[in-house]
Amino acid sequence: MFDDPDALTGSDRRHYVDCAGCQARYSGMADDARAVATLLAAPELRLDVASALKRVEAAPAAKPRFGFSLPILSPASRPMFAGLAAAAVLVALVVTAFAEILPLFQPKTVEPVPVTVADLQSLSALSDYGTLTWTEKPTPQIVLSAADAQNVAAGMHAPAVTYLPSTVSSTVTYAAMPKAEAVFTFDAAKAADAAAKTGKPLPTLPAGIDGAKLTVKVGPAIIEVFGNLKQSSSANASSNDINLPQLVIARSSAPVVSSTQVSAQELENYILSLPGISPGLASAVRAIKDPSTTLLVPVPVEYASSSKVKVKGVDGVALGDNTGLGAAVIWINGDVFVVAGSVSQIDVLKIAEGLTV
Amino acid sequence: MKSRDEAFEALFKSEYARVAGIANRVLADSHEAEDVAQEVFINFHRLHSANAQFAPAWLHRAAAHTALNRLRGRRRREKRELAQAPGEAERTVDPQRMLEVNEDRRLVRAALARLAPKPAAVLVLRASGLSYAEVGQALGVGTGQIGTMLRRAEAALRKEVTRGTSL
Repeated sequence: MFDDPDALTGSDRRHYVDCAGCQARYSGMADDARAVATLLAAPELRLDVASALKRVEAAPAAKPRFGFSLPILSPASRPMFAGLAAAAVLVALVVTAFAEILPLFQPKTVEPVPVTVADLQSLSALSDYGTLTWTEKPTPQIVLSAADAQNVAAGMHAPAVTYLPSTVSSTVTYAAMPKAEAVFTFDAAKAADAAAKTGKPLPTLPAGIDGAKLTVKVGPAIIEVFGNLKQSSSANASSNDINLPQLVIARSSAPVVSSTQVSAQELENYILSLPGISPGLASAVRAIKDPSTTLLVPVPVEYASSSKVKVKGVDGVALGDNTGLGAAVIWINGDVFVVAGSVSQIDVLKIAEGLTV
Repeated sequence: MKSRDEAFEALFKSEYARVAGIANRVLADSHEAEDVAQEVFINFHRLHSANAQFAPAWLHRAAAHTALNRLRGRRRREKRELAQAPGEAERTVDPQRMLEVNEDRRLVRAALARLAPKPAAVLVLRASGLSYAEVGQALGVGTGQIGTMLRRAEAALRKEVTRGTSL
């Protein structure tokens, strides 16, 4: 009222003129306000905004606890999540390329394939060979409940757990994503440019592949994150307050890939001829019995061990061990399911067996 | 739509002075205020998009809370140091007037640190030139409540300052 004259209406003003009580109260409040304005006087600031901006931009990235962060938690990192989704599509493309039957690839089972870091680096060069365009962008969202997740994920049911180890919090954060679709167009000119820039000669693209399109459909998907994650939406929180999720359960429609004018055999031969692909990976890929329906699970041999397991009667691939540091299992039962967390492999398998969908 | 970096730069340029001003109002120390402002922007940059509608309100609130937290930490540190080294504070050699001004500021900031977080934040945000609507957005309360909150906070601060000087 004292510092905001518009706060008084006309009728208030008329009342104020004749009311000694209100005048006394106003006088007291005005005194307080003047006194506080004086009390809170501060030394003058001389700011160099440009230098300050440089210092802020040069600040190192946050170091999350345990060297791991959950990118979906922060709105700022949604572009990064989209980047991860793009990477997932790229992996799907690679997987597709290994499939012998195109134009359709729809995995129904999973198979581990040992890869090395060098293999992964060689495969990442595939992005130099064309352009990835989203026709339906991935729009992951954090939602409040399983029902909301189901709505976002086009009616897909969120898996419900019936068994949780005592070390895992029952607090669940739900994320969901509707279907997304990307088209990868092979581009011979881009490939030549990329090869010229790196100075490393790369194998020539097979004839007739220039302009070929691969359409990849991923999702819808639901992710459930267990753990007392501190949401950092409040101004008091810092990015260091985000805890490692104890358990992640994901369900996604199996990726579907179709293509024009490119044969799977050509792609497979080409990819396996990339420099850096180990003979071990090449022979493992060629040994897959039915690649058109098999989702390859790359297992980095330097960091993880894998084993074939049965989950709800179907084949699955388990990663990790029983130390409790980390374990995961992936299987396909219509949709692709993943259970992963900082628990033992025995617990991961029990959680997976207990899921109801 | 601006790129992420461009949007952040624009936000920084438009809000840095205000964010530093809020921190300075609390801490009465320009160097520490700039430290707080930069910490606030770094945290914002890591967590949120500069295109977010809530960006200015988030920054204002974070500036007030971060600075008030520092003020409370400083109070605790000063108390500890005084307890460990009695008389050290008196050995500071400064012109008489500077001593008085510094002492006044110290007493006021000590009183501010004793207020509850919300009244303290209302006071510093308003004293830093934010409108009632901006203060309301920053603290997540209706604009209509700000006047009353402000009056109560002003009275509380005066009372605390009086209590501090009579101790």
